[in-house]
Amino acid sequence: MQRRQTQSAVAMLAPATGLITVFVFVPMLLTLWLAFQSWSTQTGFETARFIGVQNFIDIFSNSSVGRDFKAALLNTLIYTVLSVVLILPLSVAFGLLVHQKLAPGGIVLRTVLFSTYMVPMIAVALVFSKLYSPTEGPLNQVLGWIGVPPQTWLSSPQTALTSIVILNVWQQVGYFTVLAVAGLTQIPDSLYEAAKIDGANPLQRFWSITLPLLGNTLLFSAVIAIINSVQVFEPVALITQGGPVNATNVLTYFIRRVGIERAQGGLGSAMAVTLMLSLVVAIAALFALARSREAKSA
Amino acid sequence: MTAIAAAADTRPLERPHRRITAVSAALTILIVAVAVVAAFPLAWMVLTSLKTPQETMHVPPVWLPASPNLEAYSKVSDVVSIGRSFFNSAVIALVTTVAIIITSLMAGYAFAKYQFRYRELLFALLLSTMFLPPIVTLIPLYRIVGYLELTGSLWGVVVPNLANAFGIFLMRQFIRGVPDELIEAARVDGASELRVLFQIVAPSVLPAIAALTLFAFVYHWNSYLWPLTVLQGNADQYPIVISLSRLLSYNRGAMNTGLVMAGATLAVLPPVVLFVILQRFFVDSVISSGVKG
Repeated sequence: MQRRQTQSAVAMLAPATGLITVFVFVPMLLTLWLAFQSWSTQTGFETARFIGVQNFIDIFSNSSVGRDFKAALLNTLIYTVLSVVLILPLSVAFGLLVHQKLAPGGIVLRTVLFSTYMVPMIAVALVFSKLYSPTEGPLNQVLGWIGVPPQTWLSSPQTALTSIVILNVWQQVGYFTVLAVAGLTQIPDSLYEAAKIDGANPLQRFWSITLPLLGNTLLFSAVIAIINSVQVFEPVALITQGGPVNATNVLTYFIRRVGIERAQGGLGSAMAVTLMLSLVVAIAALFALARSREAKSA
Repeated sequence: MTAIAAAADTRPLERPHRRITAVSAALTILIVAVAVVAAFPLAWMVLTSLKTPQETMHVPPVWLPASPNLEAYSKVSDVVSIGRSFFNSAVIALVTTVAIIITSLMAGYAFAKYQFRYRELLFALLLSTMFLPPIVTLIPLYRIVGYLELTGSLWGVVVPNLANAFGIFLMRQFIRGVPDELIEAARVDGASELRVLFQIVAPSVLPAIAALTLFAFVYHWNSYLWPLTVLQGNADQYPIVISLSRLLSYNRGAMNTGLVMAGATLAVLPPVVLFVILQRFFVDSVISSGVKG
């Protein structure tokens, strides 16, 4: 019986595991290997030549590619931090609005918010490029109504990256709202009842019950939001091409540009490995932070 | 902030009546405001696609077209072969979705219902790929697909995406809940394992299949980075999202806004319509994958 199960298991697992091995695990290992090679993407892997850590020295040097890479790394970091810092509180606030029973419309709100998550990022980028248009766009017009001076949005290095963050938050927040709602439904009503009897006001109940008990949800949301954020590509590729003045040059865009368009596969792979390591460090730090908080409150 | 905090309360019973009405009025206003802001970009997109070129260039912007017309839509097909792009997108999205459902059901079933060595290790390894940004493997993957001589073709877009970790994870979560007795009964009747899976197990996890259909279809309908990389300027294999970017560069700076918005509206329709039909399952599965883990 055990043997029959093993045979069946192998047969059942073969298609998915085989595909994921060939198209994810093998490329992953190749990326690691290529990071230490001089290799042109136009040629076969056999032409790769070992050069030690030279690629890493290059991407952190003060050469043109090094400066662009460091800018992309920094821009991606800023973009990710801003996205997470905006998405998490908004998702909790919207989650509460969807979850509450005092006013109608929660489910409609959820549908509206979540449907933006279905829209292709390319379409989002196109629409926002028109919304942001300094003269023909409606955003500066609306700002004008409330007395705010017109913004430069995508056309100035000071505001371009933030404009892309806003577009990203608009597209993604619905997904994280659904996660927050899921977390909220797990908090037992009895806790709120008990706090109410103790005389806690709504704000105190939010800080002492809702937020701490959403901890795991928020941790999961933060991890997903970080991973989604480093993938930003479409608005940059389509609208800003990394500019103005490198302001929106982000990693996914720049790695593709070096590794595919310029065919510097080794250099691009070293950048990809750096991205991967940064992600691992960031997520590990996040978990450590969450654990130390837990230990403190326990 | 207080209004939102109050929203955490689901039981307003022992409060004075007037305060409840005030709070629910404030909440209603907030809900409407958030929904309007969230819906605004898409509403603007549709409205602009119905405007005349002059209206789209007007300063200050015109919000509502004076006489809505579909001219921009008919012009889209002059610039890109829209029918062909839709067909390509449909092929990419449908083939990957069907394959992902089959491969995920099979692997999910094995992880949920079989005992074998290294089961947990293999599952953890597969799961870890869920957190891998696609750019990390893009460069070698491009070369591998080149070796398979699939560069520049729809198959090159599709083949690396016929299985994924998220699908396996989702199916395992749901198949675990299928009673073992049901499976045993079918086995005693002499059904093969594939028959057990597709005739007994699959029908009892239909909500998960619906959710995965939506996830996979929307993801692959919308995906841009990989098709752009692998198709390499082979325009008649372009999915709609890539054709859209060509609309933007057409007649750049001049009156192409209505055109771009018409194209965007067309591209957005299939995933959003599918979402509206299947959203119930989608939300359930986000919840079960996110929290109950």
